[in-house]
Amino acid sequence: MKFSTFGSRFALAAVAAPLAIWGWAEATATIKFTEIAAKAGIQTTHHTRVFPGKHADVLRMFTSGGSSAAAGDYDGDGLDDLFVTDSDNGKPNHLFHNNGNMTFTEVTDKAGVAGGNDPKSIVADALWLDYDNDGKEDLLIGRFGTPILYHNEGAGKFKDVTAGSGFTRFGNTIASVAFDYDNDGLVDVMLGNYFKPQNLIELPDPHVLPNDLDNAINGGGVTLWHNDGKGKFSDVTDKAGFGKLTGWTLDLGHGDFDNDGDQDMYIACDYGTDQIFFNNGNGTFTDTTEKSIGFDTRKGMNAEVTDYDNDGFLDVYVTNITDEYMKECNMLWHNNHDGTFTDISKETNTCATLWGWAAKFGDFDNDGWPDLYVVNGLRSAGKENYIPVLLNNLLLKPGMDFSDVRNWPDIGGMTWSGYQKKKMFRNLAGQTFKEISGEAGTDNEMDGRGLSLADFDHDGKLDIFQVNADQKALFYKGVTTGGGNWAQFKLTGTKSNRNAIGARITVKAAGLTQMREVDGGNGYAGQSSKTVHLGIGAATKFDSVEIRWPSGLVEKINGAALGKINKITEGKGLQTK
Amino acid sequence: MKLRNLTLVKLMLTGLLLTGLIVPAFAASEAEIAKAEQAMSAKDYTTAITVLEAALQSDPDNIRAGSDYRQAIMRKSMAAHPKEGAPADFDRCVAFFEKLVAANPKASVAYLNYGFCSVDKIPAAGSITQVLLANAALGQFSKSIELKPSWIALYTRGNSYLYWPVIFGKAGLGVADLERAYGMQKSEPTRVYHQRLYISLGDGYWKTDNIDKARAIWKEGLSKFPDSKQIKARLDRKDDDLKSYIDDQLDPGKRVDTDLHEIWEAK
Repeated sequence: MKFSTFGSRFALAAVAAPLAIWGWAEATATIKFTEIAAKAGIQTTHHTRVFPGKHADVLRMFTSGGSSAAAGDYDGDGLDDLFVTDSDNGKPNHLFHNNGNMTFTEVTDKAGVAGGNDPKSIVADALWLDYDNDGKEDLLIGRFGTPILYHNEGAGKFKDVTAGSGFTRFGNTIASVAFDYDNDGLVDVMLGNYFKPQNLIELPDPHVLPNDLDNAINGGGVTLWHNDGKGKFSDVTDKAGFGKLTGWTLDLGHGDFDNDGDQDMYIACDYGTDQIFFNNGNGTFTDTTEKSIGFDTRKGMNAEVTDYDNDGFLDVYVTNITDEYMKECNMLWHNNHDGTFTDISKETNTCATLWGWAAKFGDFDNDGWPDLYVVNGLRSAGKENYIPVLLNNLLLKPGMDFSDVRNWPDIGGMTWSGYQKKKMFRNLAGQTFKEISGEAGTDNEMDGRGLSLADFDHDGKLDIFQVNADQKALFYKGVTTGGGNWAQFKLTGTKSNRNAIGARITVKAAGLTQMREVDGGNGYAGQSSKTVHLGIGAATKFDSVEIRWPSGLVEKINGAALGKINKITEGKGLQTK
Repeated sequence: MKLRNLTLVKLMLTGLLLTGLIVPAFAASEAEIAKAEQAMSAKDYTTAITVLEAALQSDPDNIRAGSDYRQAIMRKSMAAHPKEGAPADFDRCVAFFEKLVAANPKASVAYLNYGFCSVDKIPAAGSITQVLLANAALGQFSKSIELKPSWIALYTRGNSYLYWPVIFGKAGLGVADLERAYGMQKSEPTRVYHQRLYISLGDGYWKTDNIDKARAIWKEGLSKFPDSKQIKARLDRKDDDLKSYIDDQLDPGKRVDTDLHEIWEAK
């Protein structure tokens, strides 16, 4: 752990940045998306798990977060494909092959990756990762149950290798990230677990819900799995310093927060405080929550990481719940460069996004400043509102045990924080954000959950795949007009993990410096492309491009081109083919 | 002439007693309260708390001692935890008044302060705990009204209802309380704290979609308190601008000023 001593600030760097670029983009670009899920052949419908028994509705509601999507190029054709989860018993997951023309072909059965929703397990998350560095993306399925690990056998086929993988520990997993925490060249896995490790379907004990709605300590915490390079993962949770966590983890966000070359971790928890851990560089982490962000009582739903203000340090965006009846405000944690963060969501207009779920940064107008898309909405159903029922029948009843599922009133056909308009924010030069979802065409009212961002058709405009709970998915093709110039970077590690997760790219163009890291699944219920997309506004060339690989190698890249994907291999620079 | 003045004073005192704003006897000594206030001025909150707890033990309905006590608890917490204080710091206040009212079940002002302890804790608490605290406070305020339906108790409970989101349907209850308090204050000389009721009653009308009545009561308030910035701010706004302003004023996450000094300073 090494904290930089640059001092605390959050506005000066943005002021110093070239406002001319922002001014240009503001004047000419119109961020716009058009929804084409049906046309593209990926309008899947998610189904939450239907539980048996008297308290089925409550459990169904509490497990409705498992609608997720993951973008990854499983067949190595250069195009990001999509894996989409379902959650009800027997319902198949979906693998869609990208045809390159904004249409997709379902190849689930051929690939053999449909399974996971069995009578005792519920699929809740998915993650592409090349755990054996063979150049082919493997697939990890997070479940309320034990995970499933599929090895990519090539030729579009996968093999279930869970049995020998070490992933045998039961957990109610809702979040997963792949990252190389010990920089040994192999991606490791962290799983974020919502409920404590008890089977919710069999329900041997009805005390499975949060024991406190602001400070719960009976959740599932996290588990950390070390990759031994031979196809097996070992549980190193305790050894690494995560063993005591009992929060209701909903999301994980990794990144090098202190610029010391290793990956740190932000853990977003429902019903209580989020936590942040700094990597000690020796396989262990230190919990710096109190000093870094302070303890909170909010309902952390999402942990997305980027350097939104281009000051050279990664920031974190967390969604919470801000609705008519609950005013928590989201958190935009600005990195103070000294191991601490300051929440500036109110100051940046990103505080209130209703019942938040996934949020993802992406430069939608290619002006060099990451914009932000946030989905929301818990349950859109009938006219009757569940909140007064919940208040009068549970919250305000003296002596009620919140953890006992039998005490929660049935929701039936009632709505709870439903029909909420999504929020898209345009980044105004790292200083503030402007809400533009209406004009951008993304203000749908679905019960959003996960997001996956990628430039699926290589047109230089990021596209968005949005999955929803018990509803159809949406696919937004980026059709922004008047946007800036752009370039993409596909990094391949040699000494570092092949996915190059944790690799940091720093580009300079027209006086603006941007730093981004390849992430392994940050943001709730959605993995975005590992190809780094960078807009550079009116600039017509890069002044410099530098890669800092997880191995420690720092490589200057010459000849990076605009308007295309630049393929870079560790130690070998730009690949021309 | 003298007789007439005396009668007037008697009438005024009777009015104040009826509205519950004057506690008939100050069993807590002025010296104790002065000592506590001096300690608070010196930021010696621990001493102030100890002295005021003793004062309240002997005089549970002393509104000044109770208010000062809560202020001392809050300031001590804020000094240690500058943002909003720490939730556990306010538990001393809750526990103290819980015992105090148990020992003095007829002490209406003590119940009022008991409720205010929960209100003081709200900004330091999580969003769900805030609801539980707000509800607990309503229970104590109701008990206070049950014992003595004073202006301050009715105003306090009525105003508290307004902080609840519309979805819970409590605004109408708030208006009912505030209208009762309004009736009381109409029959007494205008006091500085009366402007609070004009503001809240208007907010209550606004929250129950009676915008004309809201503006009328704010206008009446402004005629009596022409310098009231809060009333002017409401009258100067319309539609979404007014909604945004009132929503902000009634944000449950924001600390409510529960210092009752206006009450005794107005005497």
